Amino acid sequence: MRSLNIAATGMLAQQLNVEVISNNIANLNTTAFKRQRAEFQDLLYENQRAAGASSSDNGTIVPVGVDVGTGVKAAAVYRITQQGTLLNTNNPLDIAISGRGYFQVQMPDGTTAYSRAGSFQLSPTGEIVTADGYVVQPGITLPNNTVAVTVNASGQVLAEIAGQTSQQTIGQFQLATFPNEAGLAQLGGNLLKQTEASGTPITGNPGSTGFGTIQQGFLETSNVNVVSEITNLITAQRAYEMNSKVIQVSDDMAASLTQIR
Amino acid sequence: MDISSAIALSSQFLLQRQTDAIANNLANLSTTGFKAQHRTFAEYLIQNPDGTTSSSVQETGTARDMSQGPISQTGNPLDVAIDGEGFLAVGTPFGPRYTRAGHFQIDNTGQLVTSQGNPVLNPTNNPIVVPEGGADITVSQDGTITTKEGVAGKLQLVTFADANALRASAGGLYTTTQVPQPVADGRIVQGALEGSNVQPVIELTRLMSVERGNSYAKDFIDGEANRIQTALDHLGKVP
Repeated sequence: MRSLNIAATGMLAQQLNVEVISNNIANLNTTAFKRQRAEFQDLLYENQRAAGASSSDNGTIVPVGVDVGTGVKAAAVYRITQQGTLLNTNNPLDIAISGRGYFQVQMPDGTTAYSRAGSFQLSPTGEIVTADGYVVQPGITLPNNTVAVTVNASGQVLAEIAGQTSQQTIGQFQLATFPNEAGLAQLGGNLLKQTEASGTPITGNPGSTGFGTIQQGFLETSNVNVVSEITNLITAQRAYEMNSKVIQVSDDMAASLTQIR
Repeated sequence: MDISSAIALSSQFLLQRQTDAIANNLANLSTTGFKAQHRTFAEYLIQNPDGTTSSSVQETGTARDMSQGPISQTGNPLDVAIDGEGFLAVGTPFGPRYTRAGHFQIDNTGQLVTSQGNPVLNPTNNPIVVPEGGADITVSQDGTITTKEGVAGKLQLVTFADANALRASAGGLYTTTQVPQPVADGRIVQGALEGSNVQPVIELTRLMSVERGNSYAKDFIDGEANRIQTALDHLGKVP
């Protein structure tokens, strides 16, 4: 009774599918969240009769073989790095990236993490930090008597200081891109980590070739589409039920076999 | 066992194998580019010692339904679906393989690879390399991949004389000894994937008929056992 095991792989796959969908829906309002999708692949085939094998001494061949599939497995759960909508917040330290690139964030252990969530705050010393208090690289510190901060499209940070007529450039946001964005590992807290699969980061100023631009006073919303998530959820639930139906029928058939005299 | 029960048994045996195929189709309801498979059966004649023949049933092959699966948008620029016939060529350590599952990625060296990490091949059987920092990847209808830096390569879209004779291996890949023929007027859709072409209604109907067939065969074997038992009882009473 292979069908019992095959249907079990189907149920496991659909369970993972529902988990991925529920995480997408849960993160509907998470800044710069990228929706995920579970990708499935069929398992190995048992080749019981090979197509093309000879079926007689006269050289006739078997036109179609007997291939028995053995179920399904999850191949990948990947992030879809589509741009989220930019939402106007009017907060001068809310900074969205329009296009490619990630902010670099210095983690407490000294490593660099990457994030697109630009809801920044100030540390007690005036440094620009993430909502968790991690320093955004390269570090930008606002002078004590700053009245207003402007960040332009190419990431230059300009401060208007009390008692001065002209704005002063006090820093420059830098972005990082990767050859394989989908290969970044997720750390939670809107942070991503470089891996062997992602390749090494390429840093540059916003607006230069291959990098997105900066929008001050905006936040990137999640790119989750509720309607399609709910549709996927219904499909996954039905598929789960159908696989459990196969288990039930296989079980009934096995039961009837044991009753044969 | 007498021949009549053996015939019923041959049917039960095949019904179980049909359940395996249905289970595999339903398990792959969400597998990208999956093609449903069905078992084909044929009558098999058993030569009886008295010169007559009895009819039994035998499995002859697995038929693959090569019809188009639904194309659904994913929004990922590296997902491609084939609208119509054809397969995309993928390089593996064991030689070229062919697939309709177009979920691709760019690896850390800039190569276009499948989710298993195998390079996607261009028409000259070489990997496709997307230049570093090549943003805004577009895949045209004929499979040409273009970035801001220019044309990066082309997907190899091929077809085969007998698509049913392709052998399925794991991960949505097919292998064959047939010579691939390039598809002239292929249609590749970017940002979408081809879903599985399994039709749940058909599979569940088949499952029900398998269940019924199995219980008929069981009733038949039971009836035969009764008949023989009754015959033996009566024969025992013959003076």
